[in-house]
Amino acid sequence: MSKADSYDTFLELDAGRALGDLSPDELKEWEELAAIHQDEDPTGFDFLVAELEVHNATTTSVPPSLSSLLSETIHEFSNDKEEKKDPAPVSNNISIFPWLGWAAAACLLIFFNPFGQKPPKEIIQELTASEKLETLLDEAPLATQSLAFSPASDLYKEVTGEVIWNDDRQEGYMKLSNLPANDPNQNQYQLWIVDPERDELPVDGGVFDFPSESDVAVIPIRNALPVNKPVAFVITLEQPGGVVRSKQEIVVALAKTS
Amino acid sequence: MEGQGGSEAPLLPLVAKGDARAMKRCIDQYAPLVWSIVNRRINVQRDAEETCQEIFTEIWQKASKFNSSKSKESTFIGLIARRRSIDWLRKQNRLPPLATLDHLDDHASPQSLAGNAIDRGKLWEMLGKLPSKTLELFSLHFEKGMTHEEISGQTGIPLGTVKTQLRRGLIEARKLLKDFWAETDQEVAT
Repeated sequence: MSKADSYDTFLELDAGRALGDLSPDELKEWEELAAIHQDEDPTGFDFLVAELEVHNATTTSVPPSLSSLLSETIHEFSNDKEEKKDPAPVSNNISIFPWLGWAAAACLLIFFNPFGQKPPKEIIQELTASEKLETLLDEAPLATQSLAFSPASDLYKEVTGEVIWNDDRQEGYMKLSNLPANDPNQNQYQLWIVDPERDELPVDGGVFDFPSESDVAVIPIRNALPVNKPVAFVITLEQPGGVVRSKQEIVVALAKTS
Repeated sequence: MEGQGGSEAPLLPLVAKGDARAMKRCIDQYAPLVWSIVNRRINVQRDAEETCQEIFTEIWQKASKFNSSKSKESTFIGLIARRRSIDWLRKQNRLPPLATLDHLDDHASPQSLAGNAIDRGKLWEMLGKLPSKTLELFSLHFEKGMTHEEISGQTGIPLGTVKTQLRRGLIEARKLLKDFWAETDQEVAT
């Protein structure tokens, strides 16, 4: 194969790599040719396909279940930040592309464990919800609002507690007492956050259980979407896993601004 | 989608420093884009959502590789989202994954092919010069998220030809942009 032919083949395989359509044999050939054509910009096709993808993407609303999942992830990122270190600076003296020779092996490693770090999912929760609430109150007492819960019906007349919420940190907790224990297989409690400036529909604040042995429970709020000026927090009883939109058939408690 | 994330100060430099609040804003801003890219390819809801979570984890870990002179923030995030989605598809077909972004900051090119050195309007003006057949394939692949097999099924073009035409279309697109920059550089020099 002449050098020109080799370059043409490399370009075609590199385009295939960016498109994600390389067969295992082509991947091997690409690795060999990439080692020869080191002067080629290794990112040109990548950014180009990404630009094509982003330009053509149609914004679709994120499903509530994904919003909840990402909200959980945000809490884990907060826990992870102490562990995050600035990466070592990249030396300009490195003239070879380190990705060339070991790309396939590195791909596998990166795929399963990028940078050798534990993904946030696996980070052990160091603080309990109570401890996190104390931290929030210590660190941002002025920006944190507190509202008392009132029972919404006779069935829940013993329920007491408060909701503590911080707009800036998008972080909040409920402290609840005397809530009847639920059977998670039958139903679960769900919090709703009313933020009229955002939407007339309340934002899902997360599904939670109240175990029988609890006197006072501190429950973190897992808002599916950002809320800025909440005026009320409502607890309902819903089917296991919660609902996207509550019919408010069983309203347990309510906390609202005066 | 054009201009997404381009008008505001980039969040990724803050994310790279471990700013969890910036990461939250990043998720708020880009989750619809990421979901759009993932949802076009992964038709299993749970896998699609887990992939989105993995994408934001990867963004958290690799934010330091973002270079605003090389790409727009949305392009960088789109690149990660696209790679992860393709890896999911490749995994279903028992093919090795291709996801690696470790080389993104290794090249000292002053201009990237989709970077901030050119505005998106110009970029798309250049790409508009591609043959209509190529643009049609691009639309099916990038806009509708169709696999090569699906494109072949819809258009009647043999699978191997779809693969070749997409690759060559991409090469052609890159050449158009390189020529554009060569001309721009010359104009600047004179």
